[in-house]
Amino acid sequence: MTGFVARRVLLAGPTLLGISLVAFLVLSVLPGDPIAARIDAGAPLSADAEARLRSELRLDRPVLVRYAAWLQAAAQGDLGHSLHDGRPVAGILREAAPWTLLLNLAALGAIYGVALPLGLLQARRPRSTWARLSEGGLILASVIPSFIAALLLQGLFALRLEWLPLAGTGEAGQGLAGPAGLLPHLVLPALCLALAGWGFATRYARGAFAEALPAASLAAARARGLRGPGLLKHFGLLLALPLVWLLGGIVPSLLSGSVIVEEAFDWPGLGRLMVHAVLGRDTPLAMALLLLSAAAVLAAQLLIDLLYPALDPRLRGTGAEAAHARD
Amino acid sequence: MHETDPATAGPVVAGPAAAGPAERAPGFRSRRAGLALLGGLGLLALAAPRLASEDPLLDLRLGSSHLVVPAPVPWSERRVRLDESLSPPSSRHLCGTDVLGRDVLARLLHGTRASLAIGFGATLAALLLGLLLGGTAALRPGPVDLALGRVIEILGCFPPLLLALSLVAAAGQRGLLPILVGIAAGRTAAAARFVRAETLRLQAAPFWLAARASGAGPWQAAWRHLLPLLETPLLVQASFGIAQAVLLESALGFLGLGVEPPNPSWGQMIGDGRGVAAVAWWTVAYPAGALALTLTLLLRKVDSRVW
Repeated sequence: MTGFVARRVLLAGPTLLGISLVAFLVLSVLPGDPIAARIDAGAPLSADAEARLRSELRLDRPVLVRYAAWLQAAAQGDLGHSLHDGRPVAGILREAAPWTLLLNLAALGAIYGVALPLGLLQARRPRSTWARLSEGGLILASVIPSFIAALLLQGLFALRLEWLPLAGTGEAGQGLAGPAGLLPHLVLPALCLALAGWGFATRYARGAFAEALPAASLAAARARGLRGPGLLKHFGLLLALPLVWLLGGIVPSLLSGSVIVEEAFDWPGLGRLMVHAVLGRDTPLAMALLLLSAAAVLAAQLLIDLLYPALDPRLRGTGAEAAHARD
Repeated sequence: MHETDPATAGPVVAGPAAAGPAERAPGFRSRRAGLALLGGLGLLALAAPRLASEDPLLDLRLGSSHLVVPAPVPWSERRVRLDESLSPPSSRHLCGTDVLGRDVLARLLHGTRASLAIGFGATLAALLLGLLLGGTAALRPGPVDLALGRVIEILGCFPPLLLALSLVAAAGQRGLLPILVGIAAGRTAAAARFVRAETLRLQAAPFWLAARASGAGPWQAAWRHLLPLLETPLLVQASFGIAQAVLLESALGFLGLGVEPPNPSWGQMIGDGRGVAAVAWWTVAYPAGALALTLTLLLRKVDSRVW
């Protein structure tokens, strides 16, 4: 088991390095020219100034040299400066990250909060009216793209009913002050972000429950009269295990989803930053965001791989090979 | 294990058994109907330039004879008529017009092309590349597997939308290619992971041993005996991939970073219509409906686990 854990952790290093290389190459080798973009933006440069800017941005050096320099700086926490306003990228990210984290955690809570009970319901009584109704509703939820869902939610709850604010973060925009004031602003974006994940997560939970519920040990415990909380105490882990795997599927799609949702709801997080970086051709910022998102996915997967054997006693003995085959 | 697909993730594993005739019987007709509808969408996409153009007449050439009929949509997708801005659905414009007075139905038909081209193109590329990467990794254990495993893992770490956005930013121009590559990368990782895991698993099966014992090399045995087994689950995975690609393309269009305007795509139409949706529902409702219909058809294919 320790061999498997060590292998996973050791291999994460090269993978992270590869991720940084891809992120760098994608945004620096391809034909777009940040200088040209700046000139387009309405700030004419003299040839002298352009050359100075080029050497400042190290655009006159070979790609691998630039990569090495960038990597070295990034390892020390210096991700360069935004081409847009010259602020350090790391600072911009630090400002936006809590917003995205808050939104994604809220959405994750909403996804699990709905997917678990519905999945259990569908697995226990697959032919009941409620199971069928919820299934239909979830298919509907998963074919409505989040940007349309955003329009519908805003139209209904903000414009028609005026229950919740339309977008933004209200007065709390200057920091995370006043959680009570922030909550109404969080509801619609979190709901919108969760909507896309519900169908997938519920289907997954249903499959996992459908496999675990008929287990002989469970039937035996039931036959001995174990009910409700007692059953949960002994079998909760068995039912919960597949849901740890589920996290690996949700995290990347949540990160993609929050780009759309943050843009639609004017949420000051990393996703909206990405859209602005791309529209404004702000290469250092976009590069840092791409790197950060891929690293977050890698971290989530690593966490799952480490958590799973820790939670599942069956994997501790000979299970390392089984886990291997799955990675 | 990092599967995001309902097609392959989870304890319910798609296998040849699921496609058996006994399980196929109920609802088989509706599956066929779904496939026919998808095919119809493809045909619409191919025929869009002829169905919806400035030409009021449609010339159906049958061999040497001509059959001239009134064109179903006598508007092109980029004909701007400001005097007809935001006119509601009528016999003149069946689905109404957008802010610039362009016919929504014509744009919808032409938008099918962008959405389906990206969906099918990205998925096909991902499937082929995934087969190659995953198959090679499984058949060449040791350093090759380790190295390819890293490549697959790296590809799988990038959230597809962020990668596509970065590629669009880097290329400095919109167009199909950056979107296609960005979407294909993520799908490649999923396909490769699945192919590798299945190949490793099936190598323990007796048929593999029998094939190898009778002198077939690993590649030959994989080609003859493994690939047919992977076909159905891969196709199911592909329909999920197409759905995801169509969705991503529309998201990029919504952000204003999709195909180059004035070429239409569904997402772009929704993004354009967002500001006027309150007074002109048809600018958003029709493309959103088309998108939802396509996604429903594709996801039903995933759920049924057969093609």
